[in-house]
Amino acid sequence: MRSATSYAVRQRAYRALLYILMLLGCAIMLLPFFWMLTTSLKTEMGTMRVPPQWIPPQLHWENYATAWNMAPFGWYFFNSFFVSITSTIGEVITTILAAYAFAKLRFFGKNIIFTILLGTLMIPGEMLLIPNYVTLTRLGWLDSYEALIIPWVVSVFGIFLLRQFFRSIPDELWDAARIDGCSRGRYLWRVIVPLSKPAILTVALFKFLGSWNAFQWVLLMTNSESMRTIPVGLMVFSSDIGTAYHLLMAASVMAIIPILVLFFFTQKQFIQGIARTGIK
Amino acid sequence: MLRKVFVGLLALVVLGTAALAANEPVTIDFWHAMSSGHQPNLQALVDAFTAEYPYITVTLTYQGSYSSLQGKINAAVAAGNLPTLAQVYENWVTPIQSILYPIGPYMTMMEVNDIIDGLIPSNTYNGVLTTVPFNKSIMVLYYNTDLIPNPPTTWAEFYDIAKMLTVDLDNDGTIDRYGTALRPAANPEQLLVFLDQAGGSILNADWTEVTINNAEGMAAIQYCGSLIPYTYVTSEYISDHMGQVAMFIDTSAGYNYNKKGAENLQAPYTPYQLGVAMLPAGPVTQGSMIQGTNLAVFNVPNQTQAQKDAAVLLARFLLRAENTVFWAMKSGYQPVTKSAYELQAWKDFVAANPYQQAMSAQMLLGFSQILHPNYGDMRTILSTKFDEIMRSAVSPLDGLNQMAEEIEPLLTE
Repeated sequence: MRSATSYAVRQRAYRALLYILMLLGCAIMLLPFFWMLTTSLKTEMGTMRVPPQWIPPQLHWENYATAWNMAPFGWYFFNSFFVSITSTIGEVITTILAAYAFAKLRFFGKNIIFTILLGTLMIPGEMLLIPNYVTLTRLGWLDSYEALIIPWVVSVFGIFLLRQFFRSIPDELWDAARIDGCSRGRYLWRVIVPLSKPAILTVALFKFLGSWNAFQWVLLMTNSESMRTIPVGLMVFSSDIGTAYHLLMAASVMAIIPILVLFFFTQKQFIQGIARTGIK
Repeated sequence: MLRKVFVGLLALVVLGTAALAANEPVTIDFWHAMSSGHQPNLQALVDAFTAEYPYITVTLTYQGSYSSLQGKINAAVAAGNLPTLAQVYENWVTPIQSILYPIGPYMTMMEVNDIIDGLIPSNTYNGVLTTVPFNKSIMVLYYNTDLIPNPPTTWAEFYDIAKMLTVDLDNDGTIDRYGTALRPAANPEQLLVFLDQAGGSILNADWTEVTINNAEGMAAIQYCGSLIPYTYVTSEYISDHMGQVAMFIDTSAGYNYNKKGAENLQAPYTPYQLGVAMLPAGPVTQGSMIQGTNLAVFNVPNQTQAQKDAAVLLARFLLRAENTVFWAMKSGYQPVTKSAYELQAWKDFVAANPYQQAMSAQMLLGFSQILHPNYGDMRTILSTKFDEIMRSAVSPLDGLNQMAEEIEPLLTE
């Protein structure tokens, strides 16, 4: 009896310690968001105080209006949504098709082509910026939605991730479907895709996040305000000699809201997809 | 008589055609890195320009930070779609000077001579004034007026004050306030200031020899080395550490940030009024480094002659005394022509803003970076080694010799 009690106490202590550690981890993760939120409500001078002022004595909600009016953020939001959504849809479609081919079809040179594709992941994106810029210039796509969307509707990482997932689906399903007279295309869209929802959602989320946060590409490929997205728009608050942190943070809070909403609604699938495909 | 009439008529036709051609609508692209605070003022200048030249349309394109602008220019060079003109640092365009459209030949002698002397060499390529200065700042001395009633005027005074004001206020064995601060990794131009004031330079006049480790260079680096115990070394802006530093050398463009930093200190630090003075004089000069960008017009196939002519007109317009003064008053940069400093509007502005007095005086003693095509790489070496020296990772003289050794191959590359 006594040993059972001591076991229960030990379990509780262990649990308490676990929760404390998790809360600590949570606090560390949330701290930058908290700083962003409080800084967005400070005065410019308040942001420069040393040591930092965690809770401002007065909340300056007007920072949000000021930040919003300093640049055409309405346009930036529209562009961010439009570019992120269209490139996500495009990538999901191309990725499903390519991943299915690499996972389930037999064709000459499959493994070599897949290895070459994986090899391209080793090339730093920065190295390709200027060659891509030259290509898009020659295509006459600079400063257009084509430049922001089309080069990003294919992702080798997404193909790899989905291929791994598709490979885990037993081939017996295809045999059964074939006996029932199902075509390859129908099997893909009616069987494979529904079974792979978590992985597909993970690919879509990665894409949406990457596209929403894209900075260097958008900056390089666009010139007019009407083509730029939120991350590029945030630059208006920084200069070579300093940054208006209160306004930058106000604009950043506005910029991350869609991402937070998206994550809250899809976090279950997101975690499942990551866990099942073994990608960290 | 008939011949004279004919020649006169011909001249009229030619001039008339030229005038008509000149009035053809033309649009020029101006890439810049002036963020939101400066954009309305730049736009105001462009509006004034287009009011004077109604046939010219200027498309101002903000390309983000300086490094973003540089990346964009590099990409545009490769793709052959450069804008008509852009803000550029000297070392961005030295490797591509063959595609710069010289502005100087289209300026009057009076306009050229009006540019501050220290700004001419850094805009002159192969003896031709090619680019023109635009947003320029100068390194000055910022100081805590409560601690330093009279700012230092010589190296010796600077050293003495730095030493005296470096203190461990709570006796815990850690220095709480340093006499001065340097940002060697981020701002190696501070070393170039000491070097110039000692009479030294990175290279000799014709760039055939590295001179940074000659006697003058050694004097400069030994002086920097003597300041190590009294120097707060950081890569961050000093405006974020105003309580920890009594005086420091920084760009005039950072005045507002430094001022706010000083006036908003919280316990354990005491807010103070920020003072601005000319740099203390070295053994040879009281020079200071001018920083900031110039304007370059690009001579590339995608820009027509009419566009290049219009861009030259804009560059000349921005150099006018009243315009460079307007820009300086609104932006915090310094006027770039001599006549601007004589303008009543500027004098009134300086009278109302006394800190500007030191900046203006220092600007007229300014020097600019050298136009060597490999200056960018040299700067990287300077910042790395200067940082190692100031963090005591290497002795000042060894660090200086290492700088010279690493710069040497860049002369012939």
